[in-house]
Amino acid sequence: MNTPLQQGGELAFNAISHQYASAGRATSVLDDVSFSIPAGTVACVVGPSGCGKSTLLGLAAGLLAPTQGTTTWDDTKVRVGPNHHIGMAFQQPGLFPWMTARQNLAVGLRTRGASRAEANATADEFLDLVGLSEFKDAYPNQLSGGMAQRVGIARALALRPRLLLLDEPFAAVDAFTRLKLQQELMALLKRYRPTVMFVTHDVSEAIALGDMIVVMSQRPATVLRIIPVSREERNRASAAYARKLAETLACLGVTSDMDHA
Amino acid sequence: MTNPRLRAVLLPLVGAALVVAIWQATVVLYQLPMVVLPTPWSVVKTLVALPGTAMFWRDVGVSVFEFGAGYALGMILGIAVGTLMGEWRLFRMAATPVIESLRFIVPFAWIPLTILWFGTSYVGKIALVTYAVFFVMVVSTARAVLHVDPLLSRVGRVMGMGAWQLAWSVHLRAAAPTIASAARAAAAVGWIAVVAAEYIGASAGLGLMITNAASSLATPAVIAGMIVIGLIGAGVSAVVGWITRTHLDY
Repeated sequence: MNTPLQQGGELAFNAISHQYASAGRATSVLDDVSFSIPAGTVACVVGPSGCGKSTLLGLAAGLLAPTQGTTTWDDTKVRVGPNHHIGMAFQQPGLFPWMTARQNLAVGLRTRGASRAEANATADEFLDLVGLSEFKDAYPNQLSGGMAQRVGIARALALRPRLLLLDEPFAAVDAFTRLKLQQELMALLKRYRPTVMFVTHDVSEAIALGDMIVVMSQRPATVLRIIPVSREERNRASAAYARKLAETLACLGVTSDMDHA
Repeated sequence: MTNPRLRAVLLPLVGAALVVAIWQATVVLYQLPMVVLPTPWSVVKTLVALPGTAMFWRDVGVSVFEFGAGYALGMILGIAVGTLMGEWRLFRMAATPVIESLRFIVPFAWIPLTILWFGTSYVGKIALVTYAVFFVMVVSTARAVLHVDPLLSRVGRVMGMGAWQLAWSVHLRAAAPTIASAARAAAAVGWIAVVAAEYIGASAGLGLMITNAASSLATPAVIAGMIVIGLIGAGVSAVVGWITRTHLDY
């Protein structure tokens, strides 16, 4: 086993409620949400679209403050503003179009105080890990969708974050690329062991990647269930996987047996 | 005419030749005197002779200097204020009504006041170009900064960028192509402002050269001056366009 380079920490949501003001009315997206993700754990958050999963990520990242409740990282309240323990990847790569792949990775490292040489070396190392060393000088518009998404994920990981936040990072790529990217991510997570909060609407992805699944309800969202996932349940060819899938889907109100739907 | 490169050279020449032919035909057919409309040939002769005179270069120098100084000032102020408006909601709310009401008072409407305040010196022209360029830049910069993909802002913030760094290295950078195309439009507006101001009151410059020529009935010199103004304007626009294409192509 590799020695962890960076220790993950514990992320906790404590009685979080959140409202958005839209058109003069308050829309409630989260209602008394509490759960925690232990250090080094991969938690997949699933739920219907628009249920506030992305809001939870924004709270964890310190992009916004909750209306009520607190988010804590290693028992310290997460404040709004630049937080240097996080790395985040999104559904779209969100690469800076005026920078090469390598510069896109290096800019965050430079922001966090790395020297130019350090930042470039780390950028090269992580582009290599996602198999894109040949493309380090390519601009985003010269990369395919899958490649750009790899760069986006490499950019988040290159910061060697203690907390990795992923907002449906594979939702916009084709099914085959998705499976490949999931495998690559698993390998990288084994190596770096950050705490991971992975938001997805794909239940099979959640089982394949997560140590635990947090099932959210419709908006205003509450936590319906927290389902632990064992190693053998992750094997897509196993009966245990099928049972876990059915169990999770049932939580979301979906019957697995189409004939009796 | 099947060779596309030959066609690309020939067709514009045909267009230009047609205009010159109609011009020449008009002079000949209506037997127009030189003062009303000189022949193309006499304009060409005047045009070729112009670079040989010291006065011409002084006039070109004054106009280009007035334009350049006003353009630089207007760009800096316009982009700075536009960025602040894009970044800072309270400032935008305070500045928008002022900007929106002033920007429809076209630069030319200010010419009498600038002459009153600054006389016929270059200061008034610089102020006028600054004004013209500023309003083009402030409006498009604010809009461009405001419309930067919010995902790029989020990416910058989760990397750990603060507000200033986000404004400088993400928003302005992402808005740069839009700002650059506004810069090209502003160059045209600024150049027009210089010439117009010089027509009305100046102690030197291309505009003055033309009005002087007109009052001494030297019509070929008037048209030659107009052509010089067009050439310099096109040159400035081409330079700004070239910088845009080579540095901001994304």
